[in-house]
Amino acid sequence: MAQVDWIGWVSIASAICAAVILVLHLVRRPPLPRARMWLLLGLGVFPIGSAGTANISGFKATQSRTFCGSCHVMEPHARDSEDPESTSLAAIHARNQMFGGDNCYGCHKDYGMYGFVMTKLGGMKHVYYYLTEYHDMPLEQSKHDIRIAKPLPNENCMYCHTTTAPRWLSIGDHASSLEAVRDGSMSCASPGCHGYAHPVTKLGKELPLEGAHP
Amino acid sequence: MKWKLPSLESERLIRWACVLGLVALPMMVWSVITPTVWPVLVALSVGQAIGTLSFVLYLVVVIRDLGIVARLRGQNAGREPDAAEQGES
Repeated sequence: MAQVDWIGWVSIASAICAAVILVLHLVRRPPLPRARMWLLLGLGVFPIGSAGTANISGFKATQSRTFCGSCHVMEPHARDSEDPESTSLAAIHARNQMFGGDNCYGCHKDYGMYGFVMTKLGGMKHVYYYLTEYHDMPLEQSKHDIRIAKPLPNENCMYCHTTTAPRWLSIGDHASSLEAVRDGSMSCASPGCHGYAHPVTKLGKELPLEGAHP
Repeated sequence: MKWKLPSLESERLIRWACVLGLVALPMMVWSVITPTVWPVLVALSVGQAIGTLSFVLYLVVVIRDLGIVARLRGQNAGREPDAAEQGES
């Protein structure tokens, strides 16, 4: 059971109130005209309150690593992020308080005006793929076969790591590849730079066998 | 062609609404307690659909019992057509 925040408790309390009213109605069967107002609470006000708060709680939950890791093919990614010894890009970001338990969402969400909606639509596509292709896939095969649908745009990194700060530009590799980083032709998370973000899933497909990350 | 709802007793419809509500509520709460893929998906789709259906049944009963549709029809029948409506016809 996950830690329930106050919105979640409001949802649970509303649901309990509604359930009590509905059960009492079914058991006692009072005449309708007298019960109408109670039923408005039991079938309308409390369930709508419960659904609304559960929606907020649910949408917040979809941003957490627990949620992402609840599909078995994402377990290695989640475990690596939770490993305090891991030096992967994902784990380093997970240890940053800015990201914490929401580090998957922090890096993979779409930024911009419609970012939230686009991210949720992308998430639905993931669910579809999981149901149709990956649900029964063994973990080892999934580590080998499943790759990100489209490369992580550098804009996502640049949302926090500005490319205009003197400190960033003072690093030779940054200065020499500035345009390539900004136009996205060179990924921040490429192996020669700061990647791979999830080396735990690279089984020789991208990495050379010797010296490969665990 | 006039479409007509099957005439079910109000009491029976309300009982169905209560049962559907009792089915929908745990689905919605499940996603709060266990925020993983399936509970959240079920809550946001099936749970809400069933919950909405239960509320709609309640509204149908209230509208029917209070005779709201009949009253509106009665008002429309007794109303003088205004100038704009006369111009249209």
